[in-house]
Amino acid sequence: MSVIKKMTSRFPLNLSHLDDRLLLIITGIIAGMCSGLAAVALRLALELVTEWLHPFRHFWWAFLLPAIGAVLSSIYLEKIAREGAGHGVPEVIYAVSKHGGLLRLRSSYSRLISSFLTIGSGGSAGPEAPVVMSGSAIGSNIAKFLWLNDRQRTTLVGCGTAGAIAGIFNAPLAGLVFSIEVILGKWNFSNIIPIAIAAVAGAEVSQALIHKQVLFNHMPFNVGTADILPGICLAVFAGLISVFFTKTLNTTGKFAKKFRFPLWVRALIGGSVVGGIGLFFPVVLGEGYHFIQSMISGTFSMGLFITFVAVFAKIFATAITLGWGGSGGIFAPCLLIGSLTGIFFHKIVFLLFENPACASEGAYALLGMTGLISGVMQAPLTGIFLVLEITGGYETILPLIVVSAISSTMSHYIEPASFYFKELIKQGQFLRPGTDARILSDLNISELISTEFTKVSENMIFREFIEIIKTSDQFFFPVVDENTDAYKGMIEIRNIRRYVLNPGIYDMVFLNQIMDTDILTASLENDLQDVLEMMESNNMESVPVVEHETFIGMISKTRILDLYRRELIMQTSVR
Amino acid sequence: MGKHMTLSVSDLSTCLGVSTDTITRWVRQGKLPVLPKGNDLRFLKKDLEKWAALHNIRLNLSDKKSGEKQNQADIRLSQALQNGGMYCDIAGNDIPTVLEACVNRILQIPDDFKSDLLDRLAERENALSTGVGNGIALPHPRQPLSYLPHPMITVNFLANPVDYNALDGRPVSILFCILCPSLQYHLHLLSALSFCLRDTDFISFLKSQPEMDQLLEKTVILQESIPL
Repeated sequence: MSVIKKMTSRFPLNLSHLDDRLLLIITGIIAGMCSGLAAVALRLALELVTEWLHPFRHFWWAFLLPAIGAVLSSIYLEKIAREGAGHGVPEVIYAVSKHGGLLRLRSSYSRLISSFLTIGSGGSAGPEAPVVMSGSAIGSNIAKFLWLNDRQRTTLVGCGTAGAIAGIFNAPLAGLVFSIEVILGKWNFSNIIPIAIAAVAGAEVSQALIHKQVLFNHMPFNVGTADILPGICLAVFAGLISVFFTKTLNTTGKFAKKFRFPLWVRALIGGSVVGGIGLFFPVVLGEGYHFIQSMISGTFSMGLFITFVAVFAKIFATAITLGWGGSGGIFAPCLLIGSLTGIFFHKIVFLLFENPACASEGAYALLGMTGLISGVMQAPLTGIFLVLEITGGYETILPLIVVSAISSTMSHYIEPASFYFKELIKQGQFLRPGTDARILSDLNISELISTEFTKVSENMIFREFIEIIKTSDQFFFPVVDENTDAYKGMIEIRNIRRYVLNPGIYDMVFLNQIMDTDILTASLENDLQDVLEMMESNNMESVPVVEHETFIGMISKTRILDLYRRELIMQTSVR
Repeated sequence: MGKHMTLSVSDLSTCLGVSTDTITRWVRQGKLPVLPKGNDLRFLKKDLEKWAALHNIRLNLSDKKSGEKQNQADIRLSQALQNGGMYCDIAGNDIPTVLEACVNRILQIPDDFKSDLLDRLAERENALSTGVGNGIALPHPRQPLSYLPHPMITVNFLANPVDYNALDGRPVSILFCILCPSLQYHLHLLSALSFCLRDTDFISFLKSQPEMDQLLEKTVILQESIPL
């Protein structure tokens, strides 16, 4: 035991000699590899269980399979892991902005297991968000183990995320971009390098362990100038679909919360519905990588109308899976809905024009994917790079950028908050570095408080108080009970000026007769944001802080400005 | 109409609590949703509300001005004296008996509260004498008397001067009882009264035991010069 203690206590000492950049790169590699491993494990396990369950899919009772999976998953999360359902990306973003990336150790595996149960049994969800959650938890806990500071820990969370995305898609650039664009929200030099290296590590792990990468066969597409115009139309269409998808996800979740069922009953109902849809549209089941693969390679066979219905079947299946207690992400569903949308659009084009000179179905499936990813996440770069890496070539990049730009702009126009950020913005917890909300949430009341105040007793006669004023430069005097020291009220010099100038009442008045008792007070637990709001709406320059009836100090606007400015400088300065 | 309401730069500057220069700078920097047409800048209320919500800014669009803290202590000294009334020939040889006689005479105090008020007045005298000198004292309770309909000052002329532990040691023959339903009135009246009592003419006028009408007349003239 003592040996371990010695080792861990010596660790930080040794590490502190390392250059900060080198330290981050080395730990980033470890985080990237670990989360890459987690991603690969989930991928392989899912493939295995899908294969194993495949023979049972033809029976009529197969619709119960997703229900069983969802029930197991929700019971696991609720009773064993004691974590919330959902995809977890907002939690990671919240942890990064609010707690310096602090995540629990059990988060590094809990979502893996629950999403394995959900998706493996046929629930419509993606394995990427759980992997991101576990990757970032791995990064965070590595940082915790090594006693790194908040800034380094945040970077390692980014490394874990990048490694996870890189590992699951074998797409290092997409991992890097997703991590910075969505999770960290801050592009700077000290972040990008370790995260890029971690993404490489994750992708390497994935390549070493999975020999047959499903999504990543290099396929040449002949995309030309003729595809720009249909591309633009597809982008508008994809933008609409992504807004619809986001809205459906949100409303289904809210709808499910209205029922007072136990979680597992909710999961049972949701799972059965998804399974029922799956009987008619097997394409909605699971994460759907194989269907995406077949759509890209052009071996997908569904009629025009069926494809159109399948788009909405998948949207509803995903919304029900996630809203009714299942666990998983929206990445893979986005890809599947996107490629269905693209193929549907391609079929329309062929229906309307005799012999259009545009590219194959597969290329449009790719464009649709970009449209959905960019639209739903409002992360245009992630959409571009992910699909770019799927094709492994640059032939499609021009329409890709166009589609991504238009789709994300449209979705942003209709719904300014993206799917990942919406909850956080609504709770006022979307705290990107350098923003007002972030600075206010970082500054504590206890940091701002000035405590050097002469207190006066409520039974003091006014004449004695005049003597105190003569030698003091205080503008505020807290009035307290002389025995218990309990806060009674405030005397503000500017409010008693008329009495100060009248010596006739010096001996007539006690301080509890001239103090203000209805002044609003703050306590140490209050958020600075609320306190500022209170001061602003009541036109106060300072506010007394009272804790358990004891006067602690005052917060003044001058002091807030002072510290606010320093905090802003600290947060926005380049490392 | 309300939906398409527009605001001018100066309207917006009062809403946001910044100067008009700040507003024009924000427009130049493209930070505010401004209407595209026209030479003078106009802002659509609906757009502004959306913008404020997005940026977590408090927009004080309602026309209701946050009314100035109304000065409820605005009562004239003469009014309070009129409310209180005048009582002559108060019997008693020391502070408690004098006060008791006073309280018993005052009509506006409900009988149930008389002993309570007496206790409070005595308590106040014990803490510190209210004798302000020149044979005058201002007995009052430290707590506001919420059962009173309006603030009042009663003038009580004592039958025999009483030793009141006054600051100048002189016996007291006139008591001004200040009885108020709230602290603000109390401070205001106390301050106004003590101002008047610095006037030596006023004091010698009081010593002559004037009639109520004369006293009010004199007070009305005197309170005009109170610098409050």
